Amino acid sequence: MTLIVKALAAGAIGLALGVAVSGSILADPPFGAVTIGAWRVAATAGSLDADPYTRAALARSGEIPLALGEGLKLVARVDSAGRALDRRCLYRVGTRTPAARYWTLSLTDADGYPVENAAGRYGYRSSEILRDGDGGFSVYVSALAHSGNWLPIGRVQTFALALRLYDTPLAANAGGIEKSSVPTIEREGCA
Amino acid sequence: MTLTARLGGAALFAAAVAAAAALIHFAVVLLVPVVAAHDAYARLAELGPPGTTAPLPRAGPDERRFPWNDPALAASFCRFDLSAGPLRVKASVGRAGFASLSFHTRRGAVFYALTDRAATHGQMEAVVVTPAQLRNLVAHDDEDDPSQDLRVVSPTAAGFVVMRAFSELPSLYAAAADEVKAMTCATEPPTP
Repeated sequence: MTLIVKALAAGAIGLALGVAVSGSILADPPFGAVTIGAWRVAATAGSLDADPYTRAALARSGEIPLALGEGLKLVARVDSAGRALDRRCLYRVGTRTPAARYWTLSLTDADGYPVENAAGRYGYRSSEILRDGDGGFSVYVSALAHSGNWLPIGRVQTFALALRLYDTPLAANAGGIEKSSVPTIEREGCA
Repeated sequence: MTLTARLGGAALFAAAVAAAAALIHFAVVLLVPVVAAHDAYARLAELGPPGTTAPLPRAGPDERRFPWNDPALAASFCRFDLSAGPLRVKASVGRAGFASLSFHTRRGAVFYALTDRAATHGQMEAVVVTPAQLRNLVAHDDEDDPSQDLRVVSPTAAGFVVMRAFSELPSLYAAAADEVKAMTCATEPPTP
């Protein structure tokens, strides 16, 4: 009798644990993504041969993935030193991106949605950004207004930066993107 | 009961819990795509009937259906069901800026994509078919005058097509939105 009770208890605890673990793992699937500097890119996330974790994460989030032929999405949740992005800090993102016909740099909440801010600014396009004399760029990410290309953090606790490269020759070999070619995310100071 | 026996029992219990948790975890991962009631296809179903083009809402703080959508891009979609026949998708591209078509299975995975670089005479065009429809079309092809259609085989009968158009400037978003809204998707008459 006690054996059955124990087996049932083990099963019940296992069930709860299994569901909880699955939930947290699928929020940020562990496979199929490569790290390049501060950025993570899951180039084949939307393809037919994506791994089961990535497929499950996609089904749950409702994301419509970019095809490799369309471009790449790189996501940063940390700065170039590996520290989690913090809304109390000022970050300078730049100054180069890998080759692409167009790119955009935008700020989202942890789930990938733009964050409400008074300036109504959710991102920058390569075709609208102010550039330095040598063609590079700097985007300032902070809660407080900043001169130049300011990307407001808005009313959110944790945020992420998304860099999208449209029509890029690198899509076929995302793992081969040079660390030196992706923008750095430098923490300039914290309030 | 001795201490060793107690420890042994506890270890056995922990092992049973871990085994059950692992089993449940793998079952969840494999079953989620099959049973997910709120995947991309289901979210699109709330926005438009199959066989018609509908705009995808623009990414913004109040739009929480499609994560990781880029607010710089306008997009539209068309859900399809190939059981009634092949689907012909046409989209005109003429603006400065990037435009693309992506073809997704019922589960959201991309099985084909093309960009405006592949457009001919300012048009991106493709015919989405099932493997059986492709065989049928090929069998009826005129050998002297082969079809110029780009035929794309869909692994699933149901799915959706997404058109995206990049706006170079915020003020050009409306033009990109008009371009994606003009995508057409129509079921082809069945081949005799």
